[in-house]
Amino acid sequence: MNYEHCIRCTICVENCPVFRVNPLFPGPKQAGPDAQRFRSDKERIEDDWLLLCSQCKRCEMACPCGVEPAHIILREQQRYGKEHPQTTAHLLFANNYYLSALGSLTAPLANVIASSKTGKKIFSKLGISTHIPFPRFSFRTLRNERMKQSRTAKKAAFFHGCFINFYRPDIGRKIIRLLSALNVDVVLPPQWCCGLPALGNGNLTLAKHFAQKNAASLSNYIDAGYDIVYSCTSCGLCLLNDYPGLLEIPQAKKLAENCYDLHEYLLKLIEEGYAQPQFREWPRRVAYHIPCHLRALKIGYPAAKLMSLIPGLECEILDDTCCGLSGSYGFKKSNEVTAVQLGQRAVSLIRKTGAKDIVADCGSCRMQLGGLSGMKALDPAEILCESLGIATPK
Amino acid sequence: MGANEYDAVIIGAGVAGLAAASFLAEQNLKVALITRGEPTACLSTGAVDVCSKGDRPLSAIKKLPPEHPFHLVAEETLRVSLDKFQQIMKAAGLPYVGSIEKNRFILTALGTFKTSCLVPATMEASPQDASESLHVVTFKGLKDFYPGYIISRRKNAKCSIYDAGISSTMSLAAHFEERPFFEKFLLWLEKQNIYQDKIAFPAVLGLESAAEIVNTLAVLTGKPVFEIPTLPPSMPGRRLFNALKKNLRDKGGDIYWSWPVTGIETTDTVIETVTSFSEGHATSISGKAFILATGSFIGGGLTATREGIRENIFHLPVHIPGPHETWFDDNYFSMNHGIGRVGIAADAAMHPLGTSWKNIFVCGSILAETQILKNGCGHGLALATALAAAKSCAEYLAR
Repeated sequence: MNYEHCIRCTICVENCPVFRVNPLFPGPKQAGPDAQRFRSDKERIEDDWLLLCSQCKRCEMACPCGVEPAHIILREQQRYGKEHPQTTAHLLFANNYYLSALGSLTAPLANVIASSKTGKKIFSKLGISTHIPFPRFSFRTLRNERMKQSRTAKKAAFFHGCFINFYRPDIGRKIIRLLSALNVDVVLPPQWCCGLPALGNGNLTLAKHFAQKNAASLSNYIDAGYDIVYSCTSCGLCLLNDYPGLLEIPQAKKLAENCYDLHEYLLKLIEEGYAQPQFREWPRRVAYHIPCHLRALKIGYPAAKLMSLIPGLECEILDDTCCGLSGSYGFKKSNEVTAVQLGQRAVSLIRKTGAKDIVADCGSCRMQLGGLSGMKALDPAEILCESLGIATPK
Repeated sequence: MGANEYDAVIIGAGVAGLAAASFLAEQNLKVALITRGEPTACLSTGAVDVCSKGDRPLSAIKKLPPEHPFHLVAEETLRVSLDKFQQIMKAAGLPYVGSIEKNRFILTALGTFKTSCLVPATMEASPQDASESLHVVTFKGLKDFYPGYIISRRKNAKCSIYDAGISSTMSLAAHFEERPFFEKFLLWLEKQNIYQDKIAFPAVLGLESAAEIVNTLAVLTGKPVFEIPTLPPSMPGRRLFNALKKNLRDKGGDIYWSWPVTGIETTDTVIETVTSFSEGHATSISGKAFILATGSFIGGGLTATREGIRENIFHLPVHIPGPHETWFDDNYFSMNHGIGRVGIAADAAMHPLGTSWKNIFVCGSILAETQILKNGCGHGLALATALAAAKSCAEYLAR
């Protein structure tokens, strides 16, 4: 932890979305490096405002001195979660994986309840915000998908994450078809929640539990010659940054070296000459909202590069705004105002571009921006599929 | 050309880096800009100082010591770079006023004057002497902005304080972008019974629509309205950064954030690739030419240790004017600290001296002998040397 490197220039504060709208949060500089000088492991942590940080990592991206305020705060959030009783909402969202599994299993019923008035009342009682509709569970998850195998040179194990699996398996199927169309064999390795929701809700033990299981499973696939491909940028960030860091996973280095963002991977296939996709014209103007965690992955914007190969597609990049939802953060009643204000600002900038659709890699960004704007929010992979003429799976 | 191969790779996202990248991108070259974090330009007043050591920047430049990098740049290049800059900012809706022929003043938060050349239109009405009476409007709880400093230095100055419920520059600026907040504020302002000649605000009046907001305020109050730059976080600096960034992207440049260079691949005569390390695999970006605009010590381009001073990316030879004892003057507030002269020495093509690599150019505050604080030549020098470096870079690429 290099909080000593902070020169107090406040660039991180300028970049903090929460600080902009919530006066209760002192900002990354004070919550991170400043306060860190006064913290001790031997003392109970009492800074409840630590929980107001949404872990967007924008402060870390902006810092010219390599200080990692979000990381300092994340560590202390875990300590706070351990030393203080958790609210119902925190407990529920930390266990999002199990809840979503249950929701999917009972999808027809769960969806009716979640969208009913009574359901909304229950959510409200539990401290869950209903400013945008709760995502619909999918009865048929991606895990039930049967995979065809053809012996190709490249093999990828797809880490789909909870969002695609439980809510949008249709996108997952498209991604599998996309990879297959480029001659990549895809398998779905046994996998659990990446652990990020647990971390975000201050439950380090649960996060470690998930991480250890994932690491063991993925590591086997790497040994068998598979590349790991993830499409959720937040899952990716957790695998790449938190597994070796906070979660102290022994196989983390191996994982990080073999994990690719979907679009980074596709670009690599094209670069290596392994695949030569023929993109067809797709005339449309889209606003590409860059998810905070894609920025934090430090891999550039590979999907933007892929989309630039599509004739007729105009893509305006917006990377200065956070959508405000930050996964389960904005679904907590206590963060609702912050989430809505940030979301509306992001939407107003998107509208200014005159784009027809929103594009974002992250499911939760799409949920928030689509929900607040009423516009269509697409995964870049969906656009690639359309342009390549890959049929929509049933 | 592969996705990670570029004609020109610019390192550093300050005014110099963003401008150089933009000048190259508009010639249809494939350009990447990589940066470790956000630039010190975000902390600046946003004003473009060309040379503040006199009334006229051009004659002040002529009086600078012969080793000053301004002498490497033709006057024409300086003029063109400032013109281009003004065009970019006008297109972004944040026009700059002023001319290279004459410096102007902006009122500071201390009530003193800062000499500058091109200033944001939001500071255009800043008084040029002590004659006009001022009404300073500030916000309850806003740190580091105390109208008392201004009032005590001027006759007929008054202040009023608005309770916005929020108190940081960043959140105030974001709120001014919202209609309901702005309208509520206008209602309050109308009741203030302002009789002074001009109205002053700390520079928190919005982000991308700042010029429009200041205009609206001036029309509604019937008086000239201007902003006073604040201590960091500085909104005029951020507006400048955001506008230059958007301009580069609109011209087709790729920007890589949080991308510290951790390795380089070179031959004896050229630099080929720069590499950054994320947790997993290293990513590499190759270029036919490179422009180094990483700034000085605060920007992160140079690091001083007990053993000496190094340039952090290519380890280019650093020009150090004297032994350690001469780096710092005894007087802390002195403008003659020797360390201000440290940097990379370059020739008129902005090619660094003492290196065998032919495809590297430097610009901005990493240059040697700038003494930016003493000479008041921050963003102006950055723009001029950026254009000079971009020209040489384009010529090199055309060869």
